[in-house]
Amino acid sequence: MTAEADLAQPLSLYLHVPFCAVHCPYCDFAIHIGAEDLHRPYIEAVIRELRLLAAGGAERHPLDTVYLGGGTPSLLDRQLLEDLLSAVREAFAIAPDGEITIEANPTDLTDEQARGWLALGINRVSLGVQSLDDRSLRWLGRNHDRSQALAAIEVLQGAGLENLSCDLIYAIPEQSTEVFAAGIRALASYSPAHVSCYELTVEAGTPLAWSVAQGRAKAPRERDFLEQHRLARGVLEGAGLLQYEVSNYARPGRESRHNLGYWQGRHYLAAGCGAHGFVSPGMAGGWGIETTPSAVGVRYWNLRNASTYIKQVGALGHGRRGQEEIDEAQREAERLACGLRLRDGVELSQPQQLATAEDLVRLGLLTLSGSRAIATTSGIEVLDRVTLELLGPVPVPYPVSSLPGSN
Amino acid sequence: MGRQSVGIIAPQMASQATSRIRNFSIIAHIDHGKSTLADRLLELTGTVSARDLTEQMLDTMDLERERGITIKAQAVRMSYQAQDGLTYEFNLIDTPGHVDFAYEVSRALAACEGALLVVDASQGIEAQTLANVYKALELGLEIVPVVNKIDLPQADPELVREEIARVIGIPAERSILASARTGEGVDRILEAVVTALPPPVGDAEAPLRALIFDCKYDAYRGVVVYVRVMDGRLRSGTQIRMMASQGTFAVDEVGIFRPSMVAVDELTAGEVGYLIASIRNVRDSKVGDTITEVSRPAREALPGYRQVSPMVWAGLFPVEGDDYQGLKEALDRLQLNDAALTFEAETSVALGFGFRCGFLGLLHMEIVQERLEREFQLNLITTAPSVAYRVTLRNGTDLEIDNPDQLPEVGLIETIEEPRVKLEIVVPREHLGGIMELCQERRGEFVQLEYQPPGERALLTYDLPLGEIIHDFYDQLKSRSRGYASMDYQLTGYRPEQLVKLDVLVAGSRVDALSIIVHRQQASVQGRKLVQRLRQVIPRQLFEVAIQAAVGGKVIARETVPALRKDVLAKCYGGDITRKRKLLEKQREGKQRMKRVGSVEIPQEAFMAVLSLDR
Repeated sequence: MTAEADLAQPLSLYLHVPFCAVHCPYCDFAIHIGAEDLHRPYIEAVIRELRLLAAGGAERHPLDTVYLGGGTPSLLDRQLLEDLLSAVREAFAIAPDGEITIEANPTDLTDEQARGWLALGINRVSLGVQSLDDRSLRWLGRNHDRSQALAAIEVLQGAGLENLSCDLIYAIPEQSTEVFAAGIRALASYSPAHVSCYELTVEAGTPLAWSVAQGRAKAPRERDFLEQHRLARGVLEGAGLLQYEVSNYARPGRESRHNLGYWQGRHYLAAGCGAHGFVSPGMAGGWGIETTPSAVGVRYWNLRNASTYIKQVGALGHGRRGQEEIDEAQREAERLACGLRLRDGVELSQPQQLATAEDLVRLGLLTLSGSRAIATTSGIEVLDRVTLELLGPVPVPYPVSSLPGSN
Repeated sequence: MGRQSVGIIAPQMASQATSRIRNFSIIAHIDHGKSTLADRLLELTGTVSARDLTEQMLDTMDLERERGITIKAQAVRMSYQAQDGLTYEFNLIDTPGHVDFAYEVSRALAACEGALLVVDASQGIEAQTLANVYKALELGLEIVPVVNKIDLPQADPELVREEIARVIGIPAERSILASARTGEGVDRILEAVVTALPPPVGDAEAPLRALIFDCKYDAYRGVVVYVRVMDGRLRSGTQIRMMASQGTFAVDEVGIFRPSMVAVDELTAGEVGYLIASIRNVRDSKVGDTITEVSRPAREALPGYRQVSPMVWAGLFPVEGDDYQGLKEALDRLQLNDAALTFEAETSVALGFGFRCGFLGLLHMEIVQERLEREFQLNLITTAPSVAYRVTLRNGTDLEIDNPDQLPEVGLIETIEEPRVKLEIVVPREHLGGIMELCQERRGEFVQLEYQPPGERALLTYDLPLGEIIHDFYDQLKSRSRGYASMDYQLTGYRPEQLVKLDVLVAGSRVDALSIIVHRQQASVQGRKLVQRLRQVIPRQLFEVAIQAAVGGKVIARETVPALRKDVLAKCYGGDITRKRKLLEKQREGKQRMKRVGSVEIPQEAFMAVLSLDR
């Protein structure tokens, strides 16, 4: 596949901004606390990396979506944001209807800031509300409270932002289902376009995991997971936000195009520390990454530490730490695993998968329309297992002749 | 020199030669320092330089080194310059140390005139050691006791010396105090081998009689037979006959172990070495068999030969049906070097195609299983081990059943007999109660109790079904005695008992590989515990799974594995799809190690669940 042909399909860009004001104990993303003096050199490094990415064959290619994730990109001052987005527009292009998202924290979000983002072309904000219960927010180590979160929503909506997404965490051990219910109802009353509602995951290596292991923090409970997940679905769908992915709800047409790209196996570029990209072998070849003929895609990831990243970009022009070739079987596994998370489900191609799917339909975990499998609400709750069933055993890497007694 | 004159002077030379030979082995409990002492002897006699000395020189398999046990016998020849100024030829025969290999030990001992009894200065004599000492004494071996590890702070050498004196009757002052680790006393051990152990006696001119005490399979040279020549001579070109298995072969090469194989012209009466004779199969070279010369056969074979037969059987199944052929080839390969391993094809409804394998005991089984997985990269499911039952049907037919699933219907059976053993346990007095309780729980019948030395440690004898020993007995023995008890057992015979087959049903279908044979009175307790255990090891599935135990079609216990309620909901953000996929791949591999029986996935450990029932 040539680099030109790749460009027929939509391309996205993820930009990682690792800076945070505080470290939330449950977070396992690549972040740096404070480090204001790093902001400028870091953004310059990202810009440099962008240019190298574009030179690989995507130059002037209109990006379908751009996502500024973190960390806390909303910490960047306006000038840095403007420089960064200008560089994106210079190196590539952004489609006229392109979705440009910034992740923001409710802390000290001002009207001026919000209007500034809109002026820069940012048309989607993902706001880290996390909870509307002050006790839970303290437990999560967040530096905002309920009133700041609600104020931030009002500021963004007041500034004219239509595409507002709010993050909400459930199964926080400090938060009863009643308190969670009150929170999500309050949130729904603001009619955001999109809500990401996900469970508290105790990620290995985080301060939270440490506290749980030490017995200083309670672990989330299975009962809460299910209760609160079901409750969130009921409240949000009742408010017109449909569950289009396991942990995402949107008004029709307001689904996150950027995240859908990940889940639908589309290509995305990545710049910044800790960022992951997925491109065609042709485009990877444009950056000097060689692949074997069995590769159908290349996933790469950048150095996690911002200072190291800046140094490497200075020396090599990119922050890449590693990459892996994706072969057809892996792509298929990813297609299935991600596709099943979506409301539209996934096409099954192999007869064995269809046979397994029929068993799962009998158990009430899937519906099948033709060869398209869609997880039911109970299927979603055990989706990893459903996926494993459909994936079947790991394929045998070499042909084995063998019928018992054939010798 | 003419041929005739050789014949005339040879007997004299032979006797002079044998007077400087010492054949001995080392009897010791696991961890009492046998291998370290062997290393030290090799080093001090200059057989192996300290530089080339890898630790536990004689344990050549990785498994042996890791587990600190000897599985195959080894022999090594050393030259030792004694204080009398003469040079002696030592043949050290290292023997397997585990109760599973008791017969092999007895044959290795039979190849010797003496033995070093190594006892840990802080532990005292263990049951198994004692069993081997008695075996050696029965065979007429001289014993030189060595109280080892005297450098340890908790060592009490004098107490151990006294214990040896009381138990074996060797005066305390004859026990050599030593530390194989530091080398202290090892010189006295070497001298004692010369002065306290007798040289071999044997007639080099008599018809050939050589004792096979082990053999190994070499991919290039065929079977290498480890022999002790008792009478006569063995040289290349000799036409030999195995007196028990009746095979005849032409000897290609004879040699000695230094410790690698070195060819020599001949092995004469009294000597230890090897022979190679284009023998393709270890079954043609049976341990304990007597080798004689075809043209001038000995009238009588050496005593003590026994056909080795398995005591314990289990099914081995590949997790992936595709591996069946690979498993067969791997078993063939292992069998080349392991005459005690037997196997035949077996089909299980639950587990598919596999093999019913016979083992000498549980350790032997574990070793085979581990080697199959390690050396042949096979992913296996092993069913719970079983003993062989003698079944007499109403119509008079006799059957031997080593697979519980094959037990005929209750209505057809007249009697079922189970094998019993004489079990000897040495245990410190304070743990005696717990151990006796264990033996009672396992349907043991008390035989006798002695204290040795009086008041210190108990030598406990029980008559007990073999089937009770193979299910978690040894671990229980260790845990109830805080590791201090040791055991040894011998098969004594068969006895009719009220035995029944306990079946397990998973999601309504009987899983043949989970059937066990139990005593009627214990059936309901065992059934309950088995389903409880299975409930713990069978992971939640997408639906509820009933686990039932049944005897003769009647359900006697039931547990339920509730359906899985939650598995996912975690967010899938950022572009790190690789991580998500890898997580799935890991889970897929985990599933791989399970066997799908009907619609239920059963992990490997379920098939061994019966072994870990807390009774």
